[in-house]
Amino acid sequence: MKNRLIGTSVPRKEAFDKVTGRARYVDDVSFPGMIYGTTVRSKVARGRLRGIALGPGIPWDEFVVVTAKDIPGINAIHLINDDQPCLADGVINHPEEPVVLLAHPDKHLLEKARQAVVLDIDELPAVHSIEDALAKTAVVWGEDNIFKRYTIEKGDIAEAFANADVILEGHYETGAQEQLYIENNGVIASYSEEAGVTIWGSLQCPYYIQKALIPLFGVGPERARVIQLETGGGFGGKEEYPSMIASHAALLAKKAGVPVKIIYDRAEDMAATTKRHPSRTVVRAAVMRDGTVVGLDIDFAIDGGAYSTLSQVVLSRGLIHAAGPYSCPNVHILGRAVATNSPPHGAFRGFGAPQSIFALERHLDEIGKYLGIAPDEIRRRNFVKPGQTLATGQVVRDDVDMNVLLDRALEAAGWGDKKARFAVENREEGSVKRGIGLATFLHGTGFTGSGEKFLASIVGVEATADGHVRVLAASTEIGQGTNTIFAQIAGDALGVDYDVIQVGQPDTAFVPNSGPTVASRTCTIVGKLVETAALGLRQTLLGSGLLEEPYSSEQFVKACSAYVARSGELRAYAEYKQPPYIKWDEDTFKGDAYGAYSWAVYVASVKVDTLTYEATVEDFVALQEVGKVIHPTLAAGQIEGGVAQGIGWALYENVVWKNGRMANDRMTDYIMPTSVDLPPIRALFAESPYSYGPSGAKGIGELPMDGPGPAIVNAILDAVGIGIPRIPATPEVVMEAYLANTSVTRVCRATEVARG
Amino acid sequence: MKPFAYSRETGLDHALARGKEDGVRYLAGGTTLIDLMRLGVEEPSTVVDLRALPLRDIKADGDGVQIGALATNTEVAYHPLIAKAYPVLSEALLSGASPQLRNMASVGGNLLQRTRCSYFRDPSSPCNKRMAGSGCPALDGYNRSNAILGVSSSCIATHPSDMAVALLALDAVVHVRGGGGERAVPMGDFHVAPGSTPAVETALQKGEIITHVTVPASPFAQRSHYVKVRDRASYAFALSSAAVALDVSGGVVKSARVVLGGVATKPWRATEAEAELVGKPPTSMSFDAAGAAAVRGAVPRTHNAFKVELAKRTVARALRDLVGKA
Ligand SMILES: Cc1cc2nc3c(=O)[nH]c(=O)nc-3n(C[C@H](O)[C@H](O)[C@H](O)COP(=O)(O)OP(=O)(O)OC[C@H]3O[C@@H](n4cnc5c(N)ncnc54)[C@H](O)[C@@H]3O)c2cc1C
Ligand code: SF4
Repeated sequence: MKNRLIGTSVPRKEAFDKVTGRARYVDDVSFPGMIYGTTVRSKVARGRLRGIALGPGIPWDEFVVVTAKDIPGINAIHLINDDQPCLADGVINHPEEPVVLLAHPDKHLLEKARQAVVLDIDELPAVHSIEDALAKTAVVWGEDNIFKRYTIEKGDIAEAFANADVILEGHYETGAQEQLYIENNGVIASYSEEAGVTIWGSLQCPYYIQKALIPLFGVGPERARVIQLETGGGFGGKEEYPSMIASHAALLAKKAGVPVKIIYDRAEDMAATTKRHPSRTVVRAAVMRDGTVVGLDIDFAIDGGAYSTLSQVVLSRGLIHAAGPYSCPNVHILGRAVATNSPPHGAFRGFGAPQSIFALERHLDEIGKYLGIAPDEIRRRNFVKPGQTLATGQVVRDDVDMNVLLDRALEAAGWGDKKARFAVENREEGSVKRGIGLATFLHGTGFTGSGEKFLASIVGVEATADGHVRVLAASTEIGQGTNTIFAQIAGDALGVDYDVIQVGQPDTAFVPNSGPTVASRTCTIVGKLVETAALGLRQTLLGSGLLEEPYSSEQFVKACSAYVARSGELRAYAEYKQPPYIKWDEDTFKGDAYGAYSWAVYVASVKVDTLTYEATVEDFVALQEVGKVIHPTLAAGQIEGGVAQGIGWALYENVVWKNGRMANDRMTDYIMPTSVDLPPIRALFAESPYSYGPSGAKGIGELPMDGPGPAIVNAILDAVGIGIPRIPATPEVVMEAYLANTSVTRVCRATEVARG
Repeated sequence: MKPFAYSRETGLDHALARGKEDGVRYLAGGTTLIDLMRLGVEEPSTVVDLRALPLRDIKADGDGVQIGALATNTEVAYHPLIAKAYPVLSEALLSGASPQLRNMASVGGNLLQRTRCSYFRDPSSPCNKRMAGSGCPALDGYNRSNAILGVSSSCIATHPSDMAVALLALDAVVHVRGGGGERAVPMGDFHVAPGSTPAVETALQKGEIITHVTVPASPFAQRSHYVKVRDRASYAFALSSAAVALDVSGGVVKSARVVLGGVATKPWRATEAEAELVGKPPTSMSFDAAGAAAVRGAVPRTHNAFKVELAKRTVARALRDLVGKA
């Protein structure tokens, strides 16, 4: 197989439709008789629902009203534990919890009606922080507020701490973050007795929604059909949440007898839907004078909100990435996902890893500062090498040399020059100080552990009557380039032009389940299946006598078309097979957590204004080893976008909580950086092919979310000598740290271990 | 959005006649009004479009300048009569919103823009400004963007305009037309603090139209400067801003203007800060003293306490930059 398309920046498959306005998003779509739906939500964090009253002044007989009583099947959004109701029934567990659904043809009247519904709720004590959840100030979930607890053990942690020169402890926190896709959540549902439920919507995972509709309506999969429309971004925010809004629209459609559209406005989308899990991490490091970290004892906790949703999966990824790309021989990591009374937190690019990586990468700089070892040097003394093991005991098989990546990134960033220049300039008068910081990290490709094996994804390719080849997968194009890279991979596998390949619309009635569009898995895992399926189709065609090697694209198309004319159809499928070396023990968290990792070194240059305490990123270098770059422009776009989102998380995007509800639920108050706030982002790649990825590709979607947080805050440390323990490092947070003169001794407890 | 009637008037008298009717709102650039209609905060039955009225000129007026109420923020900011003679006004305008918005936004609309207090903009929440007597959830709620000066127990909403802060520093006058003829309202009297009637934000009477704004020549206009501190470099309202102007001769400040934005319920002239400057040489020490005087009497709340220190520093920085610039 020769690469003609892979490695080049072919035009995006859907670009023309998008830039000409021809692409149809859910709010562009309408059906005859369609009406609008809205959601009445709880204002309180926790309580007992005593009654629902339809207030005066509204012609209620014109409305379709749905409550929990109207649910034909099981009142739960099916995911892992099924603890989250579709509509609250009796108990309220978070603000914005959906209780009543309304539908009407007039959107304006619908909004008045929403405001007129009165929920009679007896309030109960609620929990609003990780610490309170762990301290059980109130028990709001299960017996102890803990959704899930995992541990990772490697070596002998007690021994390491007994024999280290120094023990340093640091406490780190990261805030929630809103995905802020351009297009808010939205769906249309229709219902008929014969066809069952059909959903059209803005979503990442059509089969998740189908799985949720089946028990809710008590129907079989043939009567729960989900179709993805053009989707304006997801970032994880349209992984599990669309199951909720789709269920709501479907319940209304069933009762109304006509299609129902629900589109959230920005405030509702921000306040009611999922966000990145807030976290707090305590890192205790046992260190030798030369900077070798001999023991890591990490306590990692994430706030899952009111229901368990995906928290345990987020937790496991966070846990596995907590010890970073280092060979530390003795590791103990405790991970807990806890319940609080805020809307459930959910999937968001990085999925727990950015949180735990933030803590470790910040802590390494604090250790370096304490010992007088430069940030790059302390990492060099601890990098894992091929053949050595990561925290789960996984032997590194990737051909990676972090020292080489580090050299290259520092060179590109002008590390040495800047260090010298800033040191001089920062001594001068003036309120502006500059600094440079880095983070080194890895990110696992695909589902954790045996996840991919259980998913058993399937991809199909089929020939069309006119001889084109169509990829059939449930993996969605959400702006990241799925359709384009699938066409590149299939095109190269078949040895045909880009135009020969089409990508079918994800529709559960027509495409096989290639798994969810999450976990940086689409290119590596699903892309590999596309390649395998395409090779299968090619084999059939070559075996049929209609095609002979070597062939041109035109000859291929002719042969394809002839085959379909002769045999009616030409299809090939591929099913995921786990690489043979993968061994994973879900109970002990030991073994090969991921088939492969992408490896990265990020360097941030930051300016801090000590008058206003504003920190601004002035330059950013993002270097990553990704196996193989399939599409240079798209890959750079993923990195630039991820870094921008990481900068937002690190410095700007502050979710303010008030009794479990997001208080700043609009874009004037929730500050997302604009293009003017962003530095030049220089995305650099290294390639060391992974044998189980298409042409060697590994995942890159989430990776760029991991590095910016710690690199930026480490740069602030370099600029002003202040170690910020939590992000977002808004001017208020910087001011607080500045006035408290936070330094390594505050952030960390340094114990000189007594030696007898 | 609630359905409404639309009409476009070409004569000022016609427009004024329409303005007397109930449920009428004037439309200029629409960047405030249409947003509020979408949110259901404003629900006019008729929208009268003023954009065809001949109120867009920017021209010399004696030694000063006259700016038509329909001139866009972009036109004003880049106009040769303004960019040079009134730098603080150009700078304030260009620090606001985004280029797209400035191309639509008018001078009249800018003066009349409503607060960004999130409770005001959410019709399902109480708010004394929107619904008299319903309460002020910002007092104990999320109040990071709210005011620390000019506040009352009824309302602590910030006036969001940057332009108005600069106009106040320049002693501008707002000219309005109503049924009873023309009036001239000095900028200092145009916006009013909430007191017990937060719904009343300006001296404008029902149906009146702003025709133009005049900015006089002054000894300090040319040595003027605007500093705005905000959460990001574009598309953000001021957390704190300062319009400052100095007339310095013989090494001593003869007269000064210090006006704060982003921290008060209306564009806030800090006369005590000005007093700290006048009669003294322009030094860092008097700038810091002016900063401290500017926030005297501030009432901080849970999320906006940082504004006290920030406003101080903003004033000092603006003055320092101004002197450094000259
Ligand atoms: C996203 C965003 C960010 C922004 N950022 C900033 C910022 O950083 N700084 C800042 O200062 N502003 C900012 N603004 C506000 C913007 O400057 C104002 O919306 C704009 O100036 C209003 O002018 P307009 O012509 O569009 O007014 P309109 O919306 O047309 O009118 C506003 C009000 O004034 C009335 N009106 C308009 N003209 C007249 C007249 N001649 N006589 C009588 N009544 C009249 C209307 O009836 C209406 O009630 C921002 C706005 C948005 C949407
Ligand atoms: S501060 Fe003013 S505008 Fe805001 S809620 Fe209170 S009364 Fe309303």
